[in-house]
Amino acid sequence: MADTKDLGEVVATDILIIGGGIGGLVTAIKAKEENPNADVLIVEKQTTGWAGKATKIGGILAFLGPDNNADKFMDFQVRNSGFYLNDQDLLSKYVQSSYRAIENFNEWGAKLARTPDENLVIIPAFWAPEWSLTFIDIDLMLPIRTRARKMGVKFMDKIHVVDLVKQANKITGAVGFDIINGNFHIFKAKATVLANGSCGYKVRRFWIAGTGDGIAAAYRAGAEMRNAEYGNLYGHTVWQDTDSGMVGHQFLVNSLGENLTQKYLPNTGPTGVFLPVQLAIGLEKEVAEGRGPIYFEPPPSTGPGFPPMDLPKLNDWQRCTAEKESKYGLPPTVKREIGVPLHGETSCIKVDHEMRTSLEGLWAIGDTSYAGSAVAGAVASPPGVTPGSGIMYAVISAGWAGPSAARYAKEASTSDIDYAETKNLEEEIFSPMQSGNNFLPGDAINTLQEVTAPIKYNLRRSRERLNEALIRLEELKVKIPHLKAKDYHYLSKCHEVKSMVLCAELTFRAALMREESRGSHFREDYPKRIDENWLKWIILKQDGGRMKLATQSVPIDKYEIKPND
Amino acid sequence: MNEPRNWVNKIEIDMDACKGCKTCMNACFADVIRWNDADNKPVVAYPEDCVWCLACEVACPTQCIEVIPNIPAPLRSSY
Ligand SMILES: Cc1cc2nc3c(=O)[nH]c(=O)nc-3n(C[C@H](O)[C@H](O)[C@H](O)COP(=O)(O)OP(=O)(O)OC[C@H]3O[C@@H](n4cnc5c(N)ncnc54)[C@H](O)[C@@H]3O)c2cc1C
Ligand code: SF4
Ligand code: SF4
Repeated sequence: MADTKDLGEVVATDILIIGGGIGGLVTAIKAKEENPNADVLIVEKQTTGWAGKATKIGGILAFLGPDNNADKFMDFQVRNSGFYLNDQDLLSKYVQSSYRAIENFNEWGAKLARTPDENLVIIPAFWAPEWSLTFIDIDLMLPIRTRARKMGVKFMDKIHVVDLVKQANKITGAVGFDIINGNFHIFKAKATVLANGSCGYKVRRFWIAGTGDGIAAAYRAGAEMRNAEYGNLYGHTVWQDTDSGMVGHQFLVNSLGENLTQKYLPNTGPTGVFLPVQLAIGLEKEVAEGRGPIYFEPPPSTGPGFPPMDLPKLNDWQRCTAEKESKYGLPPTVKREIGVPLHGETSCIKVDHEMRTSLEGLWAIGDTSYAGSAVAGAVASPPGVTPGSGIMYAVISAGWAGPSAARYAKEASTSDIDYAETKNLEEEIFSPMQSGNNFLPGDAINTLQEVTAPIKYNLRRSRERLNEALIRLEELKVKIPHLKAKDYHYLSKCHEVKSMVLCAELTFRAALMREESRGSHFREDYPKRIDENWLKWIILKQDGGRMKLATQSVPIDKYEIKPND
Repeated sequence: MNEPRNWVNKIEIDMDACKGCKTCMNACFADVIRWNDADNKPVVAYPEDCVWCLACEVACPTQCIEVIPNIPAPLRSSY
């Protein structure tokens, strides 16, 4: 009789964690703490401990400091960032767990910023009241990986997991391939945790690894999605040069020298580090009406954003970057233009308070489920308007999912993996290697970005333009079966394209359904927030091969913070 | 609509100075650097995918990597 072993290498584990970024590593540690006897395996597309986003620039950790008032922070967050689409119970749980996460970093040996007398650096977050910041070095994951290894966690690197496998409604593992030698891998697991990041459509350079593979796999397996319309974060950055700075938007001026924050956002309070929607749309208008380019002109008295920190790896990286920019960059005399790239943070897997998805045996944490958890509400997340929350949500959600998955796995038995289903998945996975295919993934990414990146489709939305975007996506989807991979590196890219196309469709379909404007979802044809109709989450799932949309009411009556009180 | 080019011009590795530690390959989050088992040395296999995150260059214990960025940046416009 045919056996799945004939198709590829079969690996059985109690807990399978897909993605070895910060969230995956912490899930593994927390699962082991709950049940030291559980077999825990992390499968990572690149190299666990280095891969993912947490090692990129960043280092800001935002949390409820010892002197902060949780209720006041919650009130700000729900009214000014989440616009009542938060799951307020989960947000409260998150806020209360945040300081413990900082202590965890210390226990794991990651280097946090310290004052000269060795206290933790804690400074107020200037983008939200009653919220604090500290800083962590960019090699934070290496000691955490060492700790996980000592606890017995196993790692398999350079494996791209493509799909989940299912028996009835229960997830029983996953399949993927080695991006170096093309070996097909079949993972049998009692509990599976998706920790493989959000989707950013490969627009900005530090975000290229976020291709929504876990979101796409969960959707294909039938999991519910939530808040998919909130994946449309736009940043502002020094355009010609490096795509690294996320500078204060209060200093943006047009070519006539007019201050654009005053023009488009007069008399507003703190608006965060990222571009508020009306300002981003304003920049588009300025350029369209001939008052571009946009420049960044801080007054000479403005000092550096944060004080220098004793974080050696971050300092090395900053020094190296500054050297590159001065050696290979534009001369200082060239006035830097500001651009508004799509930052992209689709993170829409719907999860409950233990990070369980709607499918039995499947959890989703970190950047796979930030928006889908509804912790942040009507904002693309991370980071919403409260930066410093991406690493924190990954660690905190891992702290909920790891023990939950470990408890489940202790009681569950390993299910068999169906041969016929696995064979079909294998054929599908390797189909881009067929001769005769001719659609290169790089071309597909260009076409996809032409649909996802423009403000006119993804930020200044309208029914007409969203439908236009969906038609352009359909045209792209027709070509997907012809994707061509010349080797396994490019095979990985082909699957990334498929994931990103699906994330884009989830975003645009949800955006089309939400006939109002709220948070980072703005509809030119419905410019007002309509609480009577839209205190609802949009839920998407696959049903009979089609994308089915529904709504779920936000239980606002049971929450403390309500509109108009 | 602009057509993004590569983010990087070149990645140079001084193979004489390289001690074959594999740190650069592990550090790369984009699978740009692969390993040549025969020579026990890194190979810049997919320079087209490098985004000059500089993780490899900063982590190399013998400072033998130089990543040369492509500026102006090929960032896709949103307008
Ligand atoms: C430039 C930059 C600056 C940032 N600054 C901050 C900051 O200052 N503070 C903050 O809190 N947050 C910051 N963030 C956000 C933060 O880094 C992320 O929110 C956080 O790292 C998310 O962790 P994660 O483990 O959920 O996902 P990721 O870090 O994205 O990890 C996902 C992992 O899954 C792997 N993977 C992907 N697909 C597959 C697949 N198909 N099969 C197997 N493995 C796969 C990836 O290689 C990756 O290692 C920043 C992000 C960037 C890019
Ligand atoms: S600079 Fe970054 S992306 Fe480029 S090869 Fe080095 S580690 Fe990889
Ligand atoms: S990190 Fe440096 S020394 Fe180590 S293998 Fe790479 S190039 Fe060689």
